[in-house]
Amino acid sequence: MPLIDPSVVDLSRLQFALTALYHFLFVPLTLGMTFILAAMETVYVITGKPIYKEMTQFWGKLFGINFAIGVATGLTMEFEFGTNWSMYSHFVGDVFGTPLAIEGLMAFFMESTFIGLMFFGWDRLSKPGHLAVTYLTALGSNLSALWILIANGFMQNPKGASFDPVTMRMQFTSFLHLVFSDDAQAKFVHTSIAGFVTGSLFVMGISAFYILKKRHKELAARSFRMAAIFGIISTLAVVTLGDALGRLDYLVQPTKIAAIEGLWQNSNAHSSAMAAPWLLFALPNDATQSNSAEIGIPYVLTPLVTHSENKVIPGLIQQEQQAAPRIENGIKALDALQQYGQDHDAASLATFKQYEQDMGYGFLAQRYAPDQNLALVTPQNQQEIVQKASRDIVPNVFVTFWSFRIMMFLGFYFVALFAFAAYFSLTNRLEKHPFLLKLSVWSIPLPILACEFGWITAEAGRQPWSVYGWLPTFQAASSHPVGYMVFSLIGFALLYSTFIAAELYLMFKFARLGPHEHDSHTAPAQGGAAPMFAKPGLADKSWQ
Amino acid sequence: MSTFFKFVGLALVIGFALFLAVVAGDYGPWYFAWLVGTTMIVLISAAGAVLFDTQEKSGKGDI
Amino acid sequence: MEIYVFLKVIWAVLLGVLLTGLATMVGMDMGVGALLRFVGRNDAERRVALNIIGPHWDGNQVWFILGGGAIFAAFPTLYATSFSVFYVVMILLLFSMILRPVAFEYRSKVDASRWRASWDWAFLVSGALPMIVYGAAFGNILEGVGFHYSWTGQYFQDESFLSYLLNPFAILCGVMSLALALHQGGTMLMMRGEEPIYGRARKFAIGGALVAAALFAVGGVWVANMNGFAFTAPVNPAMPATPLTGQTVAVQPGAWLHNYATYPLMWLAPILGFVGMLGGAAMVALRKPAVAWWCGALAWAGTISTVGLSMFPFLMPSTTSPNQSLTVWNATGSEYNLGWMLFFALVFTPIIITYTSWCFYVMRGKVKVEAVVKDTHSY
Repeated sequence: MPLIDPSVVDLSRLQFALTALYHFLFVPLTLGMTFILAAMETVYVITGKPIYKEMTQFWGKLFGINFAIGVATGLTMEFEFGTNWSMYSHFVGDVFGTPLAIEGLMAFFMESTFIGLMFFGWDRLSKPGHLAVTYLTALGSNLSALWILIANGFMQNPKGASFDPVTMRMQFTSFLHLVFSDDAQAKFVHTSIAGFVTGSLFVMGISAFYILKKRHKELAARSFRMAAIFGIISTLAVVTLGDALGRLDYLVQPTKIAAIEGLWQNSNAHSSAMAAPWLLFALPNDATQSNSAEIGIPYVLTPLVTHSENKVIPGLIQQEQQAAPRIENGIKALDALQQYGQDHDAASLATFKQYEQDMGYGFLAQRYAPDQNLALVTPQNQQEIVQKASRDIVPNVFVTFWSFRIMMFLGFYFVALFAFAAYFSLTNRLEKHPFLLKLSVWSIPLPILACEFGWITAEAGRQPWSVYGWLPTFQAASSHPVGYMVFSLIGFALLYSTFIAAELYLMFKFARLGPHEHDSHTAPAQGGAAPMFAKPGLADKSWQ
Repeated sequence: MSTFFKFVGLALVIGFALFLAVVAGDYGPWYFAWLVGTTMIVLISAAGAVLFDTQEKSGKGDI
Repeated sequence: MEIYVFLKVIWAVLLGVLLTGLATMVGMDMGVGALLRFVGRNDAERRVALNIIGPHWDGNQVWFILGGGAIFAAFPTLYATSFSVFYVVMILLLFSMILRPVAFEYRSKVDASRWRASWDWAFLVSGALPMIVYGAAFGNILEGVGFHYSWTGQYFQDESFLSYLLNPFAILCGVMSLALALHQGGTMLMMRGEEPIYGRARKFAIGGALVAAALFAVGGVWVANMNGFAFTAPVNPAMPATPLTGQTVAVQPGAWLHNYATYPLMWLAPILGFVGMLGGAAMVALRKPAVAWWCGALAWAGTISTVGLSMFPFLMPSTTSPNQSLTVWNATGSEYNLGWMLFFALVFTPIIITYTSWCFYVMRGKVKVEAVVKDTHSY
């Protein structure tokens, strides 16, 4: 049997991580902006003031620049499971593919069809009709996120499927368990609302820029107000959900929570679990499995993570030791499974069933077996293999620890920023605080950064698993030659850097131009241009 | 007649909302929170804009 | 018939429907993209051409995403294997597919001729290449692909990717697919465009349909004489979905016509294909673009069902390990999964068709040059 080439796995991981992070530069803005647009248009429909229509159209234009790349790069993600993670797709496709397909049916069609009408339908739809289209676009894009995160939730905490030894894959057993999995729920709300924060700060920052430059005051002041309120409620919700996710990780992904908190030893290692400090700063060292330069707040960690006073959070070193027997069982499970695949005998099936829960740990060992063949594991080399494999269950602590902290510190910064912004906007004192306005402008990219680090925390913390506890990332990759990966990586690098350059150029261009200069269409008082699509007369049948 | 259809339409929407709320409330508390929360965020932010219009009318035009 | 077998067959049919919908809707946009440089001689004309599909391309593109998602869920092993085996081709397809939305959104936002000319080239490449790849994939699958599985279900590729690119039959299928797309795009441009776009598009629409018909005929003769695949022992259609056991398959010349020999009624599929292509050309000649558009859709349906019926139940045969060929019986999802997917498809497909048609209805009518140039919202 040919070997899985570790460098191909690494390159596949690199490609997936880069394309996913790139895709996620654009998604949060889409998730949030759609609902902000819907809020603005709601005010327009209720009050009938044209300024709100102008706002909707101006922010809609900036949103459109962003939306296109979001869609384009999303395609990559849908393809990459098949092109680079063949074994993964085979192993969980029966349950993982379903939410992706439903996403297409239920959400993506909706958002993509209605976004055309949202941009082009102003002259062809009634006011409430167009408002409904905007809401459907917003709902569609967030439903899209919902199904993707249901799929992601399955990778974090596989619910709703069980392994079938005949077809050699996880088979779908419960739709309700999949959809209402705790991880999917909390992750969806956290992600969607983080998008709201991103959208709010985007609108708020650009509005602050106009207020500072004393341009488009009508539009900027109103946009700032709406975005600030939108933002303050959203940031509070994001923090709440972040706490819920942390507790969930403690319950179902103990290696992840230990990596997030830089916890090498059990939380009660020194005195009591209660006294364990929550680290504000530390330099985790993955090689020596210890931290240096720790600065922590005592008595915070245990209640924060476990929501209790004395429950112990297992440390990574202890978890590594506990993995060894599971790996030994996993080897037995896989040996029995291979036997069963050949003979279909009841005895091997019974052996497999006995160790089934540890099957994934057997895959971890496969990487280190001679020729990656577990049949060649002997009592002589077993201990060394198990030791190497158990070392693998620890994710990269430095990366997980710090990406979590950057995300979290940014989150609390947003709470403060939006609180002041909302307060000064509500009391009409914005212009007296130019520093706050400048800070808002410079903070525009920060929520995107926080979102990216959130993903890194979630997915780097999930390693070495691609499906937690069942399928290691190493086994999940396609068996490609290195050349394939070099080809696609170079292509992605070229295309994606062109896109981001074009996107930033256009964003800056249209944000600097502001609403009126480029868009006579939105100001009917000044005459306005002819609508692009002349309405067809009843007698005009030429189009048929 | 059109009023009647409006009522029927609204009744259907309300029925669907109730159904969604009951299902989400039972099985997915966080989903339920999202539905309620997002509606709330949108409406409060819209109210903020309306408040701005009122303040502008009565105030000195500060922003 | 067992429920599981019923679901497998239903999903094979739905796969065909999906591939047809994808080819028709995405193919139309691709056709317009590929024709852009030829039907529009100046910037204003090109913008009109783009805005004809402007409000709809995004929705149409979802057919493509849905295609990926549905194959992933309903045929996980087929998805896992085909996307990886065709890696280089798939990545090329992907590059052109992601180039297109960006080209749409960005092209007309900057008023500089070099900027716009670059994006026009991007439209040409991202329109023509995916259609060629799409057709070529059918060609390669008909000829069989070299792959096998290890005991864990991991696939291994047994031939060079060059054999998928430099393959005369696959190229023939690719060109045919492009020709159909040009027909589809041309008729759409005629429906919503005025002279001179109308006249130029008309030539391409006729040419595309006629070339497709000719290549369809040649391809048919080719398939009749090439190596096909057939079961040599009875297969249990309700078998658990795994390619590792349960099938014995042999390579046989002409085997792709066995189904037609058994059920002569199936000849209806290629006939419909020809009716669509030749009818489409005739309707374009008679200046009935809307009818011609539907003829184009019929041509796609006829072509794809011709291939599907000839291969059934094979989905992706393996030349190096024929027993592990992927078929409708061994590559699907579980019964539970297929059931849920069917439920969602039944609920949402009518809804999607309703609002997509409504969207086309709202945006109906001719696109005028003056209006596009004046309006800053347009593409």
